[in-house]
Amino acid sequence: MRTVTLPSKSLLVNVRIVFTTGAMMDPADKPGLAHLTAAMLAGGGTKDLTYKQVVDAMFPMAVSLNSQTDEEMTVFSGTTHVDNLPAYYKLVRSMLLDPGWREDDFKRIKDDTINSLRVGLRGNNDEELGKEVLYSTLYRGTPYGHYSLGTISAIEKMTLDDLKQFYKQHYTQSNLILGLAGGYPAAFLDEVKKDFAALPANDATPVSAIKPEAIDHTRALIVEKNTRSVAYSLGFPIDVKRGDPDYPALLLMQSYLGPHRMSGGRLFQRIREIRGINYGDYAYIEYFPRGMFLMEPSPNLARRSQIFQIWIRPVEPPAAAFTLRLAFFELDKLIQNGIPPEDFNRTKEFLTKYVNVLTKTKNAELGYAIDSLYYGIPDYNSYIKNGIAKLTVEQVNAAIRRHLRADRIQIVAVAANAEQLKKQLVGAGPTPIEYNSAKPAEILAEDKLVEKLDLGLRPMDVQIVSVASVFE
Amino acid sequence: MMWKLLLVVLTAGAFVAANAQVKTFPFAYTQQDLPNGLRLVTIPTDSPNLVTIYIVVQTGSRNEVEPGKTGFAHLFEHMMFRGTAKYPPEKYNQILQRAGAASNAFTSDDLTAFYTTFSKEDLAQILAMEADRFETLKYTPENFKTETGAVLGEYNKNSSDPEEKLDEVLHDTAFDLHTYKHTTMGFLKDVQDMPNQYDYSLKFFDRYYRPEYTTIVVAGDVDPKKVRTLVDRYWGNWKRGNYHPDIPVEPAQNGPRENKIDWPSPTLPLIDIAFHGPAYSDSDKDWAALDALATLAFGRNSDLYEKLVVREQKVDSLFANMSQSVDPNLFEVEARIKKAEDLPYVRTQILETIKKFQDDLVPAEKLSAVQSRERYGFTMQLDNSQSVAAAVTRYVALRRTPDTIDKLYALYSKLTPEDIRAAARKFFTGNNRTIVTLTGPAAGGGK
Repeated sequence: MRTVTLPSKSLLVNVRIVFTTGAMMDPADKPGLAHLTAAMLAGGGTKDLTYKQVVDAMFPMAVSLNSQTDEEMTVFSGTTHVDNLPAYYKLVRSMLLDPGWREDDFKRIKDDTINSLRVGLRGNNDEELGKEVLYSTLYRGTPYGHYSLGTISAIEKMTLDDLKQFYKQHYTQSNLILGLAGGYPAAFLDEVKKDFAALPANDATPVSAIKPEAIDHTRALIVEKNTRSVAYSLGFPIDVKRGDPDYPALLLMQSYLGPHRMSGGRLFQRIREIRGINYGDYAYIEYFPRGMFLMEPSPNLARRSQIFQIWIRPVEPPAAAFTLRLAFFELDKLIQNGIPPEDFNRTKEFLTKYVNVLTKTKNAELGYAIDSLYYGIPDYNSYIKNGIAKLTVEQVNAAIRRHLRADRIQIVAVAANAEQLKKQLVGAGPTPIEYNSAKPAEILAEDKLVEKLDLGLRPMDVQIVSVASVFE
Repeated sequence: MMWKLLLVVLTAGAFVAANAQVKTFPFAYTQQDLPNGLRLVTIPTDSPNLVTIYIVVQTGSRNEVEPGKTGFAHLFEHMMFRGTAKYPPEKYNQILQRAGAASNAFTSDDLTAFYTTFSKEDLAQILAMEADRFETLKYTPENFKTETGAVLGEYNKNSSDPEEKLDEVLHDTAFDLHTYKHTTMGFLKDVQDMPNQYDYSLKFFDRYYRPEYTTIVVAGDVDPKKVRTLVDRYWGNWKRGNYHPDIPVEPAQNGPRENKIDWPSPTLPLIDIAFHGPAYSDSDKDWAALDALATLAFGRNSDLYEKLVVREQKVDSLFANMSQSVDPNLFEVEARIKKAEDLPYVRTQILETIKKFQDDLVPAEKLSAVQSRERYGFTMQLDNSQSVAAAVTRYVALRRTPDTIDKLYALYSKLTPEDIRAAARKFFTGNNRTIVTLTGPAAGGGK
């Protein structure tokens, strides 16, 4: 059992209870088991209380216990006013240590999970669907090879015994990181530690290396569905995570190329600002789910393997092929020319200050501190500030050349008329774009290059699947 | 320059007991009006080194009074990033980057807000740059057209979500004249016509981007006196306007209405049952009573939630909401149903629950649990400069002062079971009701 504490004088107390286990530990025939187990603990009753009684007890305090399951981490988090800490903690303790495992709760949570996959993801959120299909495709054949929510057919077959077994095996003291922040009383940590010592002391979940298969040729997967526009996610695995020597350099690259939901990034400027093609375009070096709903990433999604990713928000179908070519064009330009020195200095300044925004709440600070423990790095703010301070533009551009590439990329598109899109993407175009207004000569000249940029896709590299088969 | 100064001193950190006299908004703040009509609200919070600014324009889709111009307030939010002679977009972005700022904007029925969180040493620079774009925004017809493409892109990214469509059709069905008839995003046909509306966009800016419509909320590691000096310096010469929109009054609905949406791809059926409700008020109990009723009748600890979601498991999402709006807007109950054949049953259950709240008095302890939850819920979100400023912004759009927060929560604490029943009887009438359902192909896609 490890602990991370950030005591303060706040009237709030943040609780983050992390188990270093997750979807990567799902048995091969039970994808989604880790997620369903966590969802059952956070959304079901306890040995003594029905779910309805838990809800009623939490209600007047405006508290909840939320779960998030990723490949390597499962976190239960909540915030309470310090007045209510004893009552809140009593519920949390029972939910995590004495779960009720009731069949009716299980049925409801299974339904919720299946509906999240079928309706929430496949039906209503083309962008998140594209991102998750990208991850599942890149990590095929590895323990990361399925979406953490699992597949519909596997969830339908799961039993309460499967969950209990997973709980027994993985919810152990060795996998536990207890996180507390805020104005909790001094004796509270000891009380929590004593309670959670009731968990089995089994060895920590063994960790295996994640080795995604090499991509030998750029390839595209088009998820076909009845939708207005075309959503893209594309990328490839990188051998860099928090704590690795090139992490600060690649984080700086990300902040230059496509900082999340910000207008200053290169991709945003070239695709949206100048050309008005879509709502936004961003780049990532770490897993960032639910980006359409969040301005900052959720903590406790630590992974030992990460990908470089470009997210192109939905594009009108006539501009779809051109926009993908434009993203490739910009990526290639970044690798060939590097970040210009003046942009480098500004981005450096940005990151040095922006880390304060990332950890602006105690809850986020606590989450980042837990991740830092996991990655074996100092606190995130000083890790980034120190790492960035030493960087030169040459070092960053060298890191970009070392880790990024503009070929051998996995593309995922969510689109109607998949065959038509496929035709536009294979070969060397041209797939020109039409604007509703005059554009500067420099842009029109660049467009001439972009429209016939060869994505390196042969017909055999493009696969089309029906949305109904995804995560089924 | 003399400013009207209102200094409200509260006990920072004081938390609310079930006592109407205690403040719910726990921060001491200053509220000041410039002679040109601009209002400044400054809220020092314990946020070391960080500052958040929200610039709130009391203009939203509610102000879109001309036909064919729906979605324009939102489009204008986008246009505000198209630069000035002094700060072209590139320079504007570079300054934000150097400040390590998180910056964005949003539009709703009643407001357009522009916000930035950054390190405190950049306060003067950011205030100067923001003042410049509010006073001297300048964009070409070409840039205008380009930005309309980004707005269409935003429509596109929303369009795969059936709840967006449900909202659009509900408001279009329930309203005849008032501008709440359309969503903030606007109708697709109007969004597609935006590229042709350059001249109108200039008129829109001239009307609404004026000091008398605008409030600056500054929260975080700040000294109110210094903020005031800076705002005076950079925003003091902004010229007051004289436009007052003639927003139509919605006539009383004269009979129940229904509408139905056929969603083109598999999804779970949705039902939205709505009634015309009151405008936001911090003095009249009706709005607060319906807001509490939404939770009492349809919240996670309500009897109906327990029945439909937890026990029978026919519904996977149930919630209600009394819209917090400047003008009278809708009280809505929305449910997502697992099997299409249960749609009529769920509809009946919701209507019977509404009837029950008209007939019976809610138990006092249930009301008291909701009152407690509202207070804790509001205060617990105030844990950083951005969420403090964001919470205030909502109320600035309604009453232009954080003062309304304490008035509202005082009103909540005085609510009685009789108030809840009286509001249910007054607003939940058949003539006042609109029901919209949405179903996918075949059996609705549920299983």
